[in-house]
Amino acid sequence: MSQPTPTVVTEFEADVVVTGLTHPAEDVVELTLSAPDGRALPPWTPGAHIDLLLDSDLVRQYSLCSSPAEPTSYRVAVLRAPDGRGGSERVHALSEGARVRIRGPRNNFPLLASPRYLFIAGGIGITPMLPMIEEAQAAGADWHLHYGGRSRASMAYLADLEKYADRVTVVPQDEQGLLDVAGILGTPQPGTLIYCCGPEPLLAVVEEHSSQWPAGALHLERFAAKTVEREGEDASFELVLQRSGITVTVPPDKSVFDTMRDAGVSVLGSCLEGICGTCETGVLEGEVDHRDSVLDPDEQEAMDCMMVCVSRCQGDRLVLDA
Amino acid sequence: MSHSTTGRRCPDVPHHAWYAAATTDEVGRTPLARRVLGTRLVLYRATDGRAVALEDRCSHRPVPLSSGRVAGDDIIAGYTGFRYAPDGSCVAVPTQEKVPFGAAVRAFPVHDDGSFVWVWTGDPRVARLRPPPTAPWLRDPAWASFGDTWETRASVRLLLDNFSDITHVAHVDPEIAPPALGAGPTPPLEVRVSETTMQFSRDYPPAPVADWQAALLGVPAESAHAHREEGEFVSPGLWVDRWHTTVSGQGAADGVHSFVFTHALTPVDETTTRHVWRVSRNFASSEAAEGTLRPLFDRYYRRVQQALETMQELVAEDGPRPEVSVAADAAATTVRRIMDRLVADETGVR
Repeated sequence: MSQPTPTVVTEFEADVVVTGLTHPAEDVVELTLSAPDGRALPPWTPGAHIDLLLDSDLVRQYSLCSSPAEPTSYRVAVLRAPDGRGGSERVHALSEGARVRIRGPRNNFPLLASPRYLFIAGGIGITPMLPMIEEAQAAGADWHLHYGGRSRASMAYLADLEKYADRVTVVPQDEQGLLDVAGILGTPQPGTLIYCCGPEPLLAVVEEHSSQWPAGALHLERFAAKTVEREGEDASFELVLQRSGITVTVPPDKSVFDTMRDAGVSVLGSCLEGICGTCETGVLEGEVDHRDSVLDPDEQEAMDCMMVCVSRCQGDRLVLDA
Repeated sequence: MSHSTTGRRCPDVPHHAWYAAATTDEVGRTPLARRVLGTRLVLYRATDGRAVALEDRCSHRPVPLSSGRVAGDDIIAGYTGFRYAPDGSCVAVPTQEKVPFGAAVRAFPVHDDGSFVWVWTGDPRVARLRPPPTAPWLRDPAWASFGDTWETRASVRLLLDNFSDITHVAHVDPEIAPPALGAGPTPPLEVRVSETTMQFSRDYPPAPVADWQAALLGVPAESAHAHREEGEFVSPGLWVDRWHTTVSGQGAADGVHSFVFTHALTPVDETTTRHVWRVSRNFASSEAAEGTLRPLFDRYYRRVQQALETMQELVAEDGPRPEVSVAADAAATTVRRIMDRLVADETGVR
């Protein structure tokens, strides 16, 4: 099935140097990453994340927590997760001067213009909120941050947030229990956008309590793939790659992503589990069986794009803009 | 932050962006009138030399400030005589001592980098969070540059589509088209994307250079050299192309000889784009060489301008249509997606 690939699409990659290292909270390391020659890195907007390529098969996504106003460096803050999958331990082992390869940035969590925002952060989920807050504040928006964590000592950037005074509600679990999501989201507020990042249980509660809010109000960023429940076996279907002029069959045990790659069609990929958004591909025809953790329900229903690493086809034919 | 699309001029172009309203040498102590994203601007320099950009419409009567004159750091509108400071506030009116409350015109954040006077057309409060693009080679003595400025009666989107794919060069202007383009099958196109940028490149195996280029490089007309083509969407207002020729086995002429093509693209309105182009080279810096190159590139960019104006006319007459894309359009579709994303962010409508 191999044929020459006329076009190869990849993401920006660069070797960068750790030029700053701090510990903004217990078990959290913040790295400043700069190009070795001090040159500018690609511009980004609030909500963006980068990949750290820690090993050939160890790629992790971390939100940028610095300011887009800094053109020559990126900052990420990483929580050590001893029971995690090894990425955070590797990041914590880096020291100042170390080299690390990055990919991106990309953004599945863009800050849409709005007169009002509700920011809800759990633990290290505070990271993408920092540049969002900076921008909302600069634009004169009305905003409020609800920030929950295990304890004050574990919650990063509390000192930086003090300048915002009443706009920030800090809820350490050991003092005040969990964030009162039901109370925060109790009354839908038209014209207000919700941005939430944190551990899965928080996201689930926020999703549940925002069901009465206007469509498109809720924006979530996940650290880990959502569990997608499926019934029965996967089926094969016909895949038409419109721009490339190629038709192939996707067998039950193979992803659309792998099928495209094997057909010689370049497609971007990173996490391959439906959380990073890299492989988003336009859908021209067909009913997508969405299994990703990136698109919100409205976007999934629109059926105009899909994450080809995990999502499949509900019918027997899918036409992609590829 | 604007969160409404009603009445938005140039609706499919990001306003939260830096556009080159003028080149640095165009702005001085005489008011300069420009239109950017459908809005009239007046540009001038204050006494300390810094560039000022204000909306070119007096708050008293619909009179362009540019019809008046610069006085000290301020500008005095023609006809009304209302005087405005660099921050847009009205500081004096002719008929009374006190300035009416709220008398002001919109002031635009400005960044003069020595080549271009970049103007931020979005919410001025957010400008400091988005660094302006840079083109430092235009001020680097290692590079010799020439170019021109004109308006093309086509949307900036059509110009971006054009720069995303230069394989049309062979059809637009066979003489300037590098023979490498037609020497064999087109080498693979490599496209690299980030959230807000797109770069592409193609590496051509050794192929003869055009006669004019051989003369400038100091190599025999029939000699073959490897080439690398690069294009970069730096920001909505700046496109950069590069063409590198690697010469080896030719003694003193050996080395990588590069052209950098800078395109500052500023939407004037929905169907007109101000296009500043500069051709820079790090070899053959003589005026004689420029005498060879200038007419070639001038003609080529004029032909591109004509082609794009014809496309704009066709779309205006016949309406837009879905287009057939090919695999190599990955560069163009990436740029379209970035533009759409930026517009969606600032309008709040996805």
